[in-house]
Amino acid sequence: MVSQAAPTHERIIQTAPPRLMEGLLRPLRVFWRALRQNPVGLVGFSGLLCYALLITVGPLLVPFDNIVRLDQIAAPPGSRQVLLTRAEDAARYTTLESLAGRTVGYVRETGGEAFLRDYLRANPDAFQTEDTRWRSGRGVPDAMQALADGEIDALVVFSESVKRFIPHDPATPFTNLVVSNPALGAPHLLGTDTQGRDIFSHIVNGGSALIYTALLAGFFSSLIAVTLGSLAALIGGVVDNVLTSIANFVLTIPGFPLLVVLASLITLNNMVLLAALIGALSWPVLMRAVRSQVLSLRERDYVEAAVALNLGLPHIILREILPNMMSFVAINFIFAVTSAMYQQVGLIFLGMAPINDYTWGVMLYFGRTRGTLFSADSALMVLAPVLAIAFFQVSMVLFARAVEEMFDPRLRTAK
Amino acid sequence: MATLNPPIRSASSRPPSLTASARLRRLARSYTLRVFAQAVVTVWAVITFTFFLIRLMPGNPVDVYIDFLMNQQNITYEEARARAASQFKFDPDANIFVQYGEYMGRLIQLDLGESITSTGTRVIEQIARFLPWTVFSVGLGLFISFILGVTIGTIMAYLRNSWLDNLFSLLASILGAVPNYIWGLLILIVFGVQLQWFQVGALRGTYNSSLTPGFNLTFLLSVLTHAALPVLVYVLGSIGRWMLNMRNSTIGTLGEDYVSVARARGLPPSRILLAYVGRNAALPMFTLLAIDIGFIIGGSVIIEELFVYKGIGSFLFWSISQRDYTSMQGVFLVITISVVFSNVLADLLYSQLDPRVRVGGGEK
Amino acid sequence: MSESVLRIDDLSIVYRTARGLVRATSHVSFSLAKGETIALIGESGSGKTTLSLALIRMLPAAAQITSGAIHYTRNGQTRNVLSLSPGDMRAFRWKECAMVFQGAQNAFNPVLRIRQQFADTAAAHGIKDPEVVKARTLELLRLVRLDPQRVYDAYPHEMSGGMKQRALLALGVLLDPQVVILDEPTTALDILTQRAIIDVLNEMQKRLNFSIIFISHDLALAAEMADRVATMYAGEIVELAPVAEMFYRPHHPYTLGLLRSVPKLDQRRDDLVSIPGDPPNLIDPPSGCKFHPRCQFATDHCHQEAPPLVEYTPGHFAACWHTDKVAAARSGFIDLKEVKKDDRS
Ligand SMILES: Nc1ncnc2c1ncn2[C@@H]1O[C@H](COP(=O)(O)OP(=O)(O)OP(=O)(O)O)[C@@H](O)[C@H]1O
Ligand SMILES: [Mg+2]
Repeated sequence: MVSQAAPTHERIIQTAPPRLMEGLLRPLRVFWRALRQNPVGLVGFSGLLCYALLITVGPLLVPFDNIVRLDQIAAPPGSRQVLLTRAEDAARYTTLESLAGRTVGYVRETGGEAFLRDYLRANPDAFQTEDTRWRSGRGVPDAMQALADGEIDALVVFSESVKRFIPHDPATPFTNLVVSNPALGAPHLLGTDTQGRDIFSHIVNGGSALIYTALLAGFFSSLIAVTLGSLAALIGGVVDNVLTSIANFVLTIPGFPLLVVLASLITLNNMVLLAALIGALSWPVLMRAVRSQVLSLRERDYVEAAVALNLGLPHIILREILPNMMSFVAINFIFAVTSAMYQQVGLIFLGMAPINDYTWGVMLYFGRTRGTLFSADSALMVLAPVLAIAFFQVSMVLFARAVEEMFDPRLRTAK
Repeated sequence: MATLNPPIRSASSRPPSLTASARLRRLARSYTLRVFAQAVVTVWAVITFTFFLIRLMPGNPVDVYIDFLMNQQNITYEEARARAASQFKFDPDANIFVQYGEYMGRLIQLDLGESITSTGTRVIEQIARFLPWTVFSVGLGLFISFILGVTIGTIMAYLRNSWLDNLFSLLASILGAVPNYIWGLLILIVFGVQLQWFQVGALRGTYNSSLTPGFNLTFLLSVLTHAALPVLVYVLGSIGRWMLNMRNSTIGTLGEDYVSVARARGLPPSRILLAYVGRNAALPMFTLLAIDIGFIIGGSVIIEELFVYKGIGSFLFWSISQRDYTSMQGVFLVITISVVFSNVLADLLYSQLDPRVRVGGGEK
Repeated sequence: MSESVLRIDDLSIVYRTARGLVRATSHVSFSLAKGETIALIGESGSGKTTLSLALIRMLPAAAQITSGAIHYTRNGQTRNVLSLSPGDMRAFRWKECAMVFQGAQNAFNPVLRIRQQFADTAAAHGIKDPEVVKARTLELLRLVRLDPQRVYDAYPHEMSGGMKQRALLALGVLLDPQVVILDEPTTALDILTQRAIIDVLNEMQKRLNFSIIFISHDLALAAEMADRVATMYAGEIVELAPVAEMFYRPHHPYTLGLLRSVPKLDQRRDDLVSIPGDPPNLIDPPSGCKFHPRCQFATDHCHQEAPPLVEYTPGHFAACWHTDKVAAARSGFIDLKEVKKDDRS
């Protein structure tokens, strides 16, 4: 390396700001040209664009469907809530109304519970329900046994799951009757959930809260990391030692269990708090990277000159160092967002985070707690948010890898 | 056939100097010591942190529990407080630092208090019951994904920029991007519920409850099949990172001078692959191993809950949902300690493989 | 000259790059006698490393040998290195021809002890008796003036750069090769260590009688080490001569330029001339003599036709149309600026 004379005071102060439009457009154009040559990155970028549209424009086009329609409970297309009766009663019980005064069983966590609750709310005293104690899986055969034994007069279950348990014996003692609207399914792209609400509208509306929280958490995490990392590297000495030790400490404590514990002690009732908590636990990796990056940047002439001229920490960090690690921080920001998404959805899935917003996470939570996850009919209720989350994460990571390749000449030439 | 020229001068018969190797060994010991000391300090800090967190939090669990007892059992505040004190094992009138001292004293004797919800059960016993399953499933998952990922990553590096490498890179990115519990849900829905390749219900728990635990084939098989899904999910969730990191690390190592020199020395390719490329390329993986252990154990809370696998993660979730704070505190400590000491293990393994760390110390 | 161990015939090598074919070595021929040292000199990018890598067939994948042969002789048996099978090639490397790479501070695997790396090398060539290997290793370490006991058990990071370089020289001769290629073996070292390495090399060569191909930018070093010197320019050998001939009576203007650009103690600063112009573009090299754009003596002839490598005095080859002008310039009879003027008119 040719050792250059340190830049003079003037050269640092007088770097004329490039004209604004030009300054903004040029990097964008360069970025686009590089991205066009990277098919994987392009896929990731398009994916992210789709999600951006989904959470901004989507809700305007497809409003959240919160109308419980008892006759439209369809779960995914083709699956219906059915009423199971003994064969000899087939002629008697043709509708739910005809069961007035009878005992109707349901199996917990198959959606039958919600169905009957909503039905009874609309038609109080229609009939008695009996919580059959039996759960999904092994619960259905037991419930059917109870039906055969006459302990209950009818049983509400999902049709598909019931077919699995009805013996193929022609002398089957049961008949089933579709109580939800058999014509449904077509107008609903992804079918309806256990309450007859449109799943597609939930997918469209269920992403924004999650994505905003994840972005916010990623922002907090990057902010803490960049600030502490630069401070540690620039001040050095005791400050560096203390900050590095704290980072190592936070890095070793398992973040997710700590979040779960914290969530049980604090009421996590708002997004910003959740984002701050996640951000506060996930900065150390980036902080250590920023620290070592700044340490090496520090050796460069212009930063050395700025330090020598005593231009002040914020100036040095904001004007000299940050622009030089923008790509680096951006990539880490993306990874911080994906990790925040992981933790956030994990918390919601366990029921430890606010479920005021009906997000993809909440759909998973209901999938788990209502057992729809384990029913072949209602799989889309869980599968749809699962795929929405998975594609979001994949788009993020593919985009990050493309950015990484764009900025790292070593990776690019390895191509 | 090949022979060497006879030595020009006969080799000296002086025994190898003991001081040099003894010094090395002492340094190695001190490295181990330092790693352990760091781990102990971390664990102490976590214990202190959780102690004060639980005691000083507004609406702290002790007060919440006292309230709960008063309402539930219709007893006076004093009675409830005394009950809480005995279960949480603290003297409510004592200064918080005295409490802290007593708490630490009991911890050293491995006394984590009694479970609040199932009175009479010691938390440490509960932990002893659940922890081994998590250690087993997480350890197995990590082991499989590490070995597989590192092997595939090496192959990718040797075939870099081929279609196979590109395909595996994409696959690895996707595997690593999707949260492991999402893989779990997908497997449950697609293969369990839709295709019915396995019986979801039958795979719950850590082994078939009708069997009596013992060292026999049926039991071991049952243990393995019950662990299969969590292990598979741990593997899927972390193998992508191993593949990509090992790939990049191996590509870097392949460009090192000592690899070219090894080829120029006429070493057989297998020897170069294992001792020259593989061993050096795998070194950074051990630092990642430490991070991954924490991540997977953390995620086990969700995975175990999803698959109803009765390990320490699902026990943590259970104790939280039951507001069993003593269990919760104990389990969290144990999880932290497992992670910290897994880190120590990874560190020591690393130092065994990299002589520079053993002697030089310093950088981690 | 005694029997030759290595004879290179018309060797040409290209690199395929995105921008086109890089002709890194063109029609190189020379031979190396037993116990002889040839120094390759020439500026950066002139193809020295490429040539030597070809000798042990360690060229990167982008490289392709487009013509030529490399004949290697041991005990009267001659083989073409370029047509050895992969197995034979592996046996050939290090056993017959060892190479100390350019800037080989990283030549040792950091996680293996020095003794292990010596043993690996021996084992790869069929010598597995640990006692034999140990005795030989200790002996060679002593020969390169290292503390054998200490270095034997050491890890590479426990040694200084100079120690590693000497250990590498010892490793280089472990299998008693006939040819040792040294690609700038002293570049990263301080002057005293350089000195020590050169002494060690000379001593080893005296004892073990191997041939050396010595690549260096340091002409003084080359002069001290070599029996013969070859000047490379743009992938070609433009001059090849016994060391004294080369330094006192260079026939090629490029060699003359190289010699003039070396500072001497008794020289005034303005006598120091660097060669004007840039190294040639190897993708689209100049026509005729590749040196002509930078040459003070160039005429139309140089432009049109490449000069052949001609033997002027016994053992002194040069590829230049105007060796007479070079000779005149060398002895200071003609003022260089005037030559230029004359040619124009
Ligand atoms: N892997 C490669 N791919 C493409 N071109 C290469 C490659 N390696 C070398 N070259 C080109 O071949 C030419 C000769 O390079 P070489 O390394 O042989 O030069 P050198 O004489 O050893 O230079 P130095 O004195 O700097 O070591 C150069 O123009 C170089 O740019
Ligand atoms: Mg070179």
